[in-house]
Amino acid sequence: MSPGLEHYLVLAALLFSFGVFGLLTRRNLVAMLLCVELVLNAAALNFVAFHRFLYQGDPAGVVFPILIIAVAAAEAAVALAVVISLFRHRKNLDARAADTLSG
Amino acid sequence: MTLESFFFYLMAAFILYSAYFVVTARNLFRCAIGLAASLIGIAGVYLLMDAQFLSAVQVAVYVGGVVVLVVFAVLMVSDVTQKEYLRSPFSRSVAAAIIAELLLMIVAAAAVVQGFGGGARPAPDSASVREIGHALLATGPGGFALPFEVISLVLVAALVGACTVAGDRDDGEGGERR
Repeated sequence: MSPGLEHYLVLAALLFSFGVFGLLTRRNLVAMLLCVELVLNAAALNFVAFHRFLYQGDPAGVVFPILIIAVAAAEAAVALAVVISLFRHRKNLDARAADTLSG
Repeated sequence: MTLESFFFYLMAAFILYSAYFVVTARNLFRCAIGLAASLIGIAGVYLLMDAQFLSAVQVAVYVGGVVVLVVFAVLMVSDVTQKEYLRSPFSRSVAAAIIAELLLMIVAAAAVVQGFGGGARPAPDSASVREIGHALLATGPGGFALPFEVISLVLVAALVGACTVAGDRDDGEGGERR
């Protein structure tokens, strides 16, 4: 029996929960960014799985992951720029060190 | 066990093992390499689902672009080798594990119980480069011309913003701009 829709959905769910777990436990900003990438990929995987097994005639299922990839690239660029700037000012990447704006 | 399911489980194990590395590795560089491995595995899964173009995009943009950017940032942020990373307290890790586990249970149960019933079908035509190109430039219903244009604006804004944010100098320090 070849893998069906459920297999891919469960794989994406596993990947998503890994990302959420990392996002909740890591305190380093770059590591948190990497966990966000995992979550985004899980979402894209779901899109492609539904496209492959349920909605074959509709190209939306493969166009959306491309948009997700583009947005993730933009997000990574901006987040890393913020990380570099933060590191320059604070010499620290702990998420709790970024409290410049708190009163 | 067919060849397809063998490759699926192989890829799934590879992806999850690398994702585990991303989540737990102390060294940031190892995290980035784990992410690259995980993304390559996901590209393989896309190949299994007959989305060849998407697989190529994943490797080119994600592994070739985003991960390289992350590695550069990790190297610039020089506390990579710092051994004493602050760890979350154990109670917090347990709470996070429970939350992630609950999420996994809910999503997986929804996926399995719902039974979408997508059986094996012939490879879709709509994942080809031709169809994706038509969809990206179509303006009618089901077309993606507007998101396509908006995403280009988003990318330009992100590039300019990233250069502005990362390129600033410390106040009072007259070092030349690199």
